[in-house]
Amino acid sequence: MRSIEEKRRSGIWIWQAVTGVLLVILLSLHMIVHHFVVEGGLRTYEQVLAYIGNPLVVVIEIVFLIVVTFHAMLGVRAILFDLPLTERQKTLVTRALTAVGLVVGAWGIFLALWLFRMARMA
Amino acid sequence: MAVPIQHKSPAARAVQAWFNPLKRSAGFLAFVLMRITGIGLVVYLLIHMVVIGNLLRGPAGWDSLIQTMKSPWVLALDVVLIAGILIHMLNGLRVTIIGLGFGTQSHKGIFWTLMAVAVLLLAYSAWLVFTK
Amino acid sequence: MTNNGFFGPKKTITLKVLRYKPGAIDPPRYDTFRVEANAVTTVLDALEEIKATQDSSLLYRHSCHPASCGTCGMRVNGREQLGCVARLLEQGSDVVVVEPLASAPLIADLVVDMTPFAERFAPAGMRLVRESEFNPEAETPVGVETFTRYEDCIECNICLSACPVANTNPAFIGPAGLAAAYRALVTGERSPAEVFAYVDHDDGVWRCHSAMECSAVCPSNVDPGHKIMALRRELVTYKVKRFFKRG
Ligand code: HEM
Ligand code: HEM
Ligand code: HEM
Ligand code: FES
Repeated sequence: MRSIEEKRRSGIWIWQAVTGVLLVILLSLHMIVHHFVVEGGLRTYEQVLAYIGNPLVVVIEIVFLIVVTFHAMLGVRAILFDLPLTERQKTLVTRALTAVGLVVGAWGIFLALWLFRMARMA
Repeated sequence: MAVPIQHKSPAARAVQAWFNPLKRSAGFLAFVLMRITGIGLVVYLLIHMVVIGNLLRGPAGWDSLIQTMKSPWVLALDVVLIAGILIHMLNGLRVTIIGLGFGTQSHKGIFWTLMAVAVLLLAYSAWLVFTK
Repeated sequence: MTNNGFFGPKKTITLKVLRYKPGAIDPPRYDTFRVEANAVTTVLDALEEIKATQDSSLLYRHSCHPASCGTCGMRVNGREQLGCVARLLEQGSDVVVVEPLASAPLIADLVVDMTPFAERFAPAGMRLVRESEFNPEAETPVGVETFTRYEDCIECNICLSACPVANTNPAFIGPAGLAAAYRALVTGERSPAEVFAYVDHDDGVWRCHSAMECSAVCPSNVDPGHKIMALRRELVTYKVKRFFKRG
């Protein structure tokens, strides 16, 4: 008989769903703003700066970045956990994805803040 | 080829069990689409994060890039991306709703309805992508 | 087509049956057999005829014949069915491929090891022995406290075979076990704490991705997919309530 007490409690799917629902708004906004708003579709450098120079926009972009990265890493984890992994391999997968998520998040936040500064200086 | 799935490697088993909706019903198709679009979006996100790094190079770096991105072929890829987003997003809402025990008996109807919505939104987006 | 009998015209159907015997038929292969079938010939009928008249070494499992014991689950043309009620002429092709269930260790030919599957029920709060309705004095076997069971489930293992996750992750509790756990929860046979201890982990109720194929193939209308989702709702409600009580 399988020993059930040893299994670690989880509820990560709830976060996948919550971040997913947030993404409906955040990603839709991102796609509309970067694709459909300005004349000619995609934004030029000037137009990107003009957009991100708004403090509210930087905050929204950074929240979007964090939410989408979290959701994406949880999604990859959900797929990998469908494979026959040992408990040790599961820990490794979780750690590796956390590392990737942190790198992506740090890079994205740096970029957003840098663009914001450029916009403010211009 | 008579290799029972039990005798295959985990990777080969995953390919067979996760991505083949033949002989299966609507919910399984939804699962396959969710998985393919999810993986596709993660790959896109990682590439995208590298590409927008070009903004650091100022207008010279970015605007020439944008010019290539406006070629019809790249815009066609954008439409593929939007299709993936719409399918994943609407399916994600369905999974959230039935994943919490609501509407499980009518999950197939919900799926086809949302996919119809996806097709309409995609047609509209594609029109915008190529005309704007 | 041959004679027109009471059960409609007969037709010759070719069965491609997966064969595997460790050490003897190894690697596995498909063997081809021909049988005459009419409107009521089932896949199990065909296998029994093959065993009687063409190849006595063919192995498959069955017991009751009318879809009540859950012994004869198999994949017919790629879809899980009970061989004893799956009609040969309704499979949509003149060549019918018969394979063992997936997501269970293969023993030989169409026979899979049902042990890992059966082991999922007791911890879920379900015993495999039917309640003795007419003979209250019946003695319970050693190790069994009472005779109760989850009525509709015939423990055929078909749902696990159709589940995309159970196919790749043998640790996943799977549809039947999770449905049994939900049942134990709503009947009060098990306390919420006991049930959640069994299902609240990465190989439990959270592993399900709502493909709902278990419900699509279930021969007994258990609708396990619905029960997994309902179980998840109970668990989410429990977690949310606990979160706000603590906070
Ligand atoms: C073809 C469609 C898209 C275009 C034209 C586009 C364009 C851009 C541009 C110009 C930026 C940099 C300026 C800013 O931060 O607002 C950006 C940032 C970002 N994009 Fe996109 N994007 C597209 C689709 C996507 C998709 C599908 C995702 C998610 C999977 C995504 C995720 C992000 C994230 C997370 C950032 C924030 C990075 C940061 O600010 O550090 N984008 N996008
Ligand atoms: C647009 C709104 C989105 C919604 C509503 C959404 C919703 C969901 C939900 C509910 C799941 C869980 C599916 C399950 O239980 O099996 C999921 C899985 C996933 N999501 Fe999203 N998502 C969205 C956007 C994204 C984006 C932008 C990415 C990638 C950057 C992404 C990547 C993934 C991945 C990889 C999975 C795992 C797929 C699987 O298990 O087969 N999602 N999503
Ligand atoms: C007129 C004669 C008989 C009738 C009408 C009869 C009827 C039945 C029926 C209806 C069952 C099914 C019980 C179930 O579905 O659980 C059964 C089971 C069985 N019968 Fe008979 N039977 C007869 C004679 C015999 C004889 C002579 C033997 C052996 C010497 C026998 C041995 C068995 C056995 C071993 C079972 C299986 C018990 C079980 O399922 O636990 N029967 N019989
Ligand atoms: S032989 Fe009993 S269910 Fe088919």
